[in-house]
Amino acid sequence: MSVSRDNPPMNRFTVFVALLLFVSSGYVTAQADPITVQAWLVLGSSKEQKDKMEVPADIKKKLARVFKWMHYYQLSSRQLNIADATTESAKLSRAATIKVTNKKSGKVAVSLFSKGKMLVQKTQSLKPGHHMVLAGNTKTDSAWFIVLSKSK
Amino acid sequence: MNENETQLKIQALVDGELTGREAEELRARLESDGGLRALHARLTAVRGLMAGAELPRTLPESGDFHWSQISKAIGHGEREARRLAKPALGANWLLRWVMPLAGVACLVLVLSRQQTTMPDLNILLGGDHELELTDDEIDVMTFNTGDDAISIVWLDYSIDLQQDSLQLWLD
Repeated sequence: MSVSRDNPPMNRFTVFVALLLFVSSGYVTAQADPITVQAWLVLGSSKEQKDKMEVPADIKKKLARVFKWMHYYQLSSRQLNIADATTESAKLSRAATIKVTNKKSGKVAVSLFSKGKMLVQKTQSLKPGHHMVLAGNTKTDSAWFIVLSKSK
Repeated sequence: MNENETQLKIQALVDGELTGREAEELRARLESDGGLRALHARLTAVRGLMAGAELPRTLPESGDFHWSQISKAIGHGEREARRLAKPALGANWLLRWVMPLAGVACLVLVLSRQQTTMPDLNILLGGDHELELTDDEIDVMTFNTGDDAISIVWLDYSIDLQQDSLQLWLD
């Protein structure tokens, strides 16, 4: 069996271009786009508190579907614009601070700090319209929620 | 005192069954009443005649035997009353085994029905999510809703929700 050697340069070029496209596409997918993350500090309560502002309706609907509390009040809200592979922090209360890292593959890492001490770090892919919630009980019959969503 | 009672008294006097005072009073009457005196004499004569003629009668069983029979009869009656007061053997077995088993079966049935009728919250345990805890003493629970639209990390931890006054002013 004979091997044709009429157009070896063309074949080499094709292989080279294909290889270049493969590497560059992988590099591109490994990069993270800048993202905007909205964070809310929410108080869940069974009692109506007219002096507090309620959270947006979609968040209330999602929380009320899972948790027992009837009212969800927005204590603070922050918006974070996070560039590729960087971390931004936001202080949500006197003691609670979050740090959000924009990671590759659409993932975000959220660290929750209380009085400067890290409690928990959650890493997950966060699609627009989806929410990540860090929550816990309070000393009364209510609960706190830190709700995060990605705008883009 | 009528005549019959008087005659019985005289009979008792003859038999030596009267007390001293009664006997003295009756003897005084006997001295003054001839009829009574005659009756007393007649009864005394009869008693004298019968004194040696009575055949001795012995009981076939001793007195203790009869008392023991009475005691046995009383005891038997009490046992019978207790037996009637208790439930029958079948009813006793029913109370001891069937009723508790029926209770357990009802409990299992209720619990199983509760499990099947629990509301579907559409909650799943988290899958590819990464969670890092820095304090082992904090209890953590994590789960996602079924459509993955919301992921929740629940901490058994109370954070301070108070806002900084400067921050509030800036808001």
